[in-house]
Amino acid sequence: MTRERRELAQQLQFFDCSIWLGKPQGFPLADELLPETLASTLSDRFITGGLVSHWHGNTISAQDVNTAVIQGIDGRDNLSAIWTGLPLFPEEDGELPGCVEPPSCVKGVRIFPKSHGLPLEHWSVGTLCDWLAKRNMPLLVWHTEVDWQSLYRLAERFCNLKIVLETQPRKILYHTRPLFALMRDCANVLVEISNFVGAGFIEYAVSNFGAQRLLFGSFLPVNDPLVSIGMLLDAEISHADKAAIAGGNLRQLLSEVQS
Amino acid sequence: MSCAAIIDAHMHVGQPGVFFAPETTLDHILYRMDQLNISSAICTDNQSLTNVSMESMAELRSNFERSGSRIHYLAVYDPRRANECIEMIRECQDWAGLAGIKIHPSFHGVSAEDESYDGIWQFASKNSLPILSHTWSSSDYNPIQRLSTPERFERYLKTYGDVKFVLGHAGGRGAGRHDAVRIVNEYPNAYLDFAGDVFCHSLIESLVDSVPVEKILFGTDFPWIDPRANLSRVLLADIPTSAKQYILHENALSVYDLRCD
Repeated sequence: MTRERRELAQQLQFFDCSIWLGKPQGFPLADELLPETLASTLSDRFITGGLVSHWHGNTISAQDVNTAVIQGIDGRDNLSAIWTGLPLFPEEDGELPGCVEPPSCVKGVRIFPKSHGLPLEHWSVGTLCDWLAKRNMPLLVWHTEVDWQSLYRLAERFCNLKIVLETQPRKILYHTRPLFALMRDCANVLVEISNFVGAGFIEYAVSNFGAQRLLFGSFLPVNDPLVSIGMLLDAEISHADKAAIAGGNLRQLLSEVQS
Repeated sequence: MSCAAIIDAHMHVGQPGVFFAPETTLDHILYRMDQLNISSAICTDNQSLTNVSMESMAELRSNFERSGSRIHYLAVYDPRRANECIEMIRECQDWAGLAGIKIHPSFHGVSAEDESYDGIWQFASKNSLPILSHTWSSSDYNPIQRLSTPERFERYLKTYGDVKFVLGHAGGRGAGRHDAVRIVNEYPNAYLDFAGDVFCHSLIESLVDSVPVEKILFGTDFPWIDPRANLSRVLLADIPTSAKQYILHENALSVYDLRCD
């Protein structure tokens, strides 16, 4: 049972869209993931690489965090960075997407509408969304940072923008009714699965919306990657769909980003 | 690891209401149990948590029978209806499949050390029934959980040292886990399960390092959480095979006094 699981986990080549440097906020018992232990922590849990963010993206300045995350991944080929974004107006100085051209290792932008006091509306974040859509660069957002109505409007209005809805840092379980309705209506919304753990969610999403809508995420170092890995190993979906969710979809998404 | 019979020591059956899940019924859980080689489970139904009654208990007994004696069940004790609940549990205590008592201080809004729980601890002691409680960590966004933090149970753990007590969810994702670990080490009758979304990195390895392995129980919290979310964490954990066997099987047999068929 264990050997087969381990072999399948290695075959699936997990590629992770939710790796976090910095001291986790709100999880007092979680250890910080340090740049020097990043590689071993990932390989211990079958993860081949992915997208790295910084915990302080919503608590200290976006500019400082964007510099820190680039330093954290330190040119590793298997890792790319997510920057924290702000609206392009009013214009702000420093390392911000849209204000400067990010390094080529930056493959996504996350916004924190509630923490940064941003209405998730076109008149506030629309220019940033246009900037991202032109580069095929995904926009990432925690579900706790949005209200569903605004997210729906934004996804409809910017239908060429890939929006990755993240299921952290608290349960998304209690929002599955709007979540699945949003997935039904907005094909440009993808869902990160580190907390997509209700009974039968993977099979339901794959059969109703397609495997291409799900992205493997671990939420390291807060979560154990074996949670979402376990959901996929035993999922009753085809091997091709498992491989797509485990890493194929994210690799494809990142390959389309124009620096 | 070859594990003949995994036991899910903490699950639920029935529509949760507060969210949508594609799989909630007895048939769903039996299907998943077969897929994952889970032979038995300890179950509370969502109806009993809200409003325990002889009807809800009868439904649980019926589930036990329909499942081929696989889905054992707990009787919910609501401290706001103390005497009524104890009478009800007394009537059911010899029913086939009854494995113990469930309390949920946060759900019922009565703190775990409140004296209204004394009657059920006394009853559990006299009748050799284990108690499983929801436990969690206090947080700004979920303040009701302060009623179920692990240290609140110590009053009764001290008084009723003969009652096997399981700290469900191992004290939760926050600071409550520190106390859960301390309590399990301090009290011979205290155990913990890691059902639910206590998804902390390397939790299984950490628990095996910090408490006796015979005190750790595997649980899922179905349908809140898919059984697959917690199973690979054990099967792929960097712990001895014998520890996996205790966690997935032996400990639940012992705490809930199940017969291994």
